[in-house]
Amino acid sequence: MKKNRNVGIIGIGQTRHSSHREDVNQPEMIHEAITLALEDAKMTMDNVDCIVHGNMELFEMIHQPDMWHVISDGAYGKPGLRLTTGGTTGATLVCGADTLVASGLHDVVLAVGFEKLQEGHTTGGITNMADPLWGRELQTGALTGMTADAVIEEFGEKRAKHAAMKMRVIMDKHAMLNPLAHRRFGFTDDMIPTMIDNVPPLVGELRIVHMCSQSDGACAMIFASEEVAKKRCPNPAWVMDHITIHREETFNLFGNVEEMTTMRYAAKKLFERNGITNPRKQIDVFEMYDPSSWWGLDWIREFLLLEGDEHLKMVEDEEIAINGSFPINPSGGVVATNPIGATAMIRVAEAALQIRGMAGEHQVKKDVNLALASGFGGTLWTVLVLLSKNPPKLTEK
Amino acid sequence: MTRRVAICAVAQTTYERSKWYQRMQGMALEVVEQLIQATGLDFEEDTGINQVVTVSDDVFDARTISDGAMTDVVGAHYRTEEKVSQDGAQAVYYALSVILSGHHDVVMIVGHCKESQPTSRNLVTHMAFDPFFTRPVGLDYLAAAGLQAQAYMAKSKVSDKQLADVVVRARKNAAKNPKIADLKQITAQEVLASPIWADPIRELMAYPISDGSVGLILASEERAKKLTDKPVWITGVGNCYDGFFLGDRDLAGNFALKRAAQKAYRMAGINDVKTQVDLFEISDQYAYQLPMWAEGLGLCADNAGGAWLSNGGPDKARVNLSGGVLAGNPMILGGLVRVAEAALQLRGEAGARQVDGAKRAVAQGLTGPAGQLQTVVVLER
Amino acid sequence: MTMTEETNVKQNLIVLRQILEIPQHFSTGPIMGRFLKELRDNKRIMANRCPKCGRFHLPPREVCAICRARSGEFIEVGPEGVIQSYDLVYYASPDPLTGQARQAPYTTVNVLLDGVQGKDTLWHLLNETDPAKIRRGLRVRAVFNEERTGSIFDIKYFDIIDNK
Repeated sequence: MKKNRNVGIIGIGQTRHSSHREDVNQPEMIHEAITLALEDAKMTMDNVDCIVHGNMELFEMIHQPDMWHVISDGAYGKPGLRLTTGGTTGATLVCGADTLVASGLHDVVLAVGFEKLQEGHTTGGITNMADPLWGRELQTGALTGMTADAVIEEFGEKRAKHAAMKMRVIMDKHAMLNPLAHRRFGFTDDMIPTMIDNVPPLVGELRIVHMCSQSDGACAMIFASEEVAKKRCPNPAWVMDHITIHREETFNLFGNVEEMTTMRYAAKKLFERNGITNPRKQIDVFEMYDPSSWWGLDWIREFLLLEGDEHLKMVEDEEIAINGSFPINPSGGVVATNPIGATAMIRVAEAALQIRGMAGEHQVKKDVNLALASGFGGTLWTVLVLLSKNPPKLTEK
Repeated sequence: MTRRVAICAVAQTTYERSKWYQRMQGMALEVVEQLIQATGLDFEEDTGINQVVTVSDDVFDARTISDGAMTDVVGAHYRTEEKVSQDGAQAVYYALSVILSGHHDVVMIVGHCKESQPTSRNLVTHMAFDPFFTRPVGLDYLAAAGLQAQAYMAKSKVSDKQLADVVVRARKNAAKNPKIADLKQITAQEVLASPIWADPIRELMAYPISDGSVGLILASEERAKKLTDKPVWITGVGNCYDGFFLGDRDLAGNFALKRAAQKAYRMAGINDVKTQVDLFEISDQYAYQLPMWAEGLGLCADNAGGAWLSNGGPDKARVNLSGGVLAGNPMILGGLVRVAEAALQLRGEAGARQVDGAKRAVAQGLTGPAGQLQTVVVLER
Repeated sequence: MTMTEETNVKQNLIVLRQILEIPQHFSTGPIMGRFLKELRDNKRIMANRCPKCGRFHLPPREVCAICRARSGEFIEVGPEGVIQSYDLVYYASPDPLTGQARQAPYTTVNVLLDGVQGKDTLWHLLNETDPAKIRRGLRVRAVFNEERTGSIFDIKYFDIIDNK
């Protein structure tokens, strides 16, 4: 990737994510994450040059919340920026912070993403993304059974339903190893047949257990120039590349894609320009934004550029499990934890923790040199971030 | 800075009290088409526009992910688009960093807003206050501005009459700006007779409700020279946040603007803004903000705003020949329109407003209550 | 206080409950405006066509996102078509336009209307919530309201019609 200078992630902080963080208000909540990130980076706010802030404001209905949050995010007297791109916001904040440091305008940038979903109505807030003239009275948030129908049609009801539930159980097993995760149920494989039959449906074959959490939480990350990162941090995670791909809104928001999915398109471009010809072998861990187990399952094929039923096999054979050949979401993923404005950033944060060997109980055992993280939102938009253990070689500017 | 970045094209719709006949998409499309027309750019991968920075606000648009409606009209289908949800001058700062980072060589900025859509602009800005202390008190950006105006006018000895003259001047200048539609010329007496909205701010001292869209094409030096024969270089940028609770702030102190300006001037190598800058585009949402931000930008000494106005300061320094935000721009686009107008001046395309031989300009934008976040951009030919 | 004493002290947390409302005037603009007018005045469903690739846009849109060209002529489509996909919604979520919870279950459907070139479907309600009676490929027909106001719901819903 053409880049002026390298950028390293040297500090990561997350709140414990929960359905109701009623013990803190918004500024207090983000302050928790920021404090942890600064501690991790062994820095104080004095070392931070710029604060990049984001969330999906129509959930909490605070207009321009970065104004209020100055009381706790250290932006007083400093430069800052607010980027908001729906569900992809957290990953866009990563791209923004990386861009600002790479540009040379700032040496140390703090990015913070958050959401307090209990302060609003999640599905109502998402439904509000629809055009008021045609979609708003039809959309049901991010809930759709159409992907489940498509997977069932392609692979048969029995196999498809089993694979989606298996995906869910694997994600929960990972979440059980992550003390910060919001929902940790303790699912086991023998529960799968009962869950398939008995969990209440939300929309079509999308059942409550398949669908992501609605969480309160915040994530903060500190990005530094190569010089600062190397001086201050023994093990930065380096931002190798990132790509954002959007798609027009149509009546059929969640499917019926004219060209290839933005997931596959983004992955193709990102891999091509980074010499990744075999993502399953070359990428060591993938924190994928899985808003539902059906989408998570379907998108394994899209992101890894697979065909046929390879992705189902990866789930059925537990290759995506934490000690499998291609671990996906060792953190538990979005189905376990979803404070929307932070969620996509948490994917990058968790990928960075894996690279730095700091993921504790949910650290994958194998060597992690290359990690991938995805963000999702809007009308099937994708953000992909590629992180490496070693500073990337910069190509000609 | 390692690379140089230039504005290669500027486009604006007209700004009206209500563009009832268009949706957001229609307004933005006008701007995109003008930018494409001016530069001949397409959206081809690697050679065309692959990155768009949009400016819009979810609460004003009453739409979660307000850029979701815009993907197709800004050409971002299977391309990159990111939304800055602050004053559009912040988008110039971000787009500049995208090109300086090396990630893209060309970036298009497109901002839109229809303040006529919500039935109350004040209700929207009321939402920017916290639910526990400041909302129950009834604050919105207008009330906050009223408090700031009181503090400032006392400190810098600015009178209501002087502010009325600021408004009259803004409208006279706007008459030469083809983008400002339906704005009547008025007298100072009419301004002073208009109803009080938030003491001391009267209706005619506030910027009118406005709808419109504005955009820019930014490019690296190499690309810029091929896209236009009049590149406008962005030589300095600075931004800074003040505190949130009005009681925590020195409301008349220009804390944030001074820091933002100093940063931008240092980057651009300006040490005497009064002699080294040919014109200024200042975001005056309310009349008192013209002298106040002038102080913050260093156009006159602290506390000397009143004297500056009396001595014809705005005309001498070529401030807001476009009419400024007072002539009617949506609040969230104010700073971006200032950058656009400054760029037009430096390109010699400012028509009846033109400052001959203008070489260097300063544009300023603000976000939040009483200008809590300030952004300053320096442009040069 | 010792640690144990501290943790035993209950806190009364303050929680504020509010309903926030900002009334809006949504413009239709010329493109959606034409679509809605045709529904109201003529009971016609109109798509518009890309002059470059020829695909139809439904809802009609200002540009073709793929060709990046201004959309062209309006063409009537439907009122019948084929179900491409559907969602049986069991979850009664709130409607942000009214603040009221919706009546569930309801079925939303994506219909490829007769005459459409391309894949753009019309998204609307299906007058059926029994999953046994719904499947992809069924033919459906738009049912219009007697009184129409220039809204997407001038079409009341789609009815399943007999298969051929």
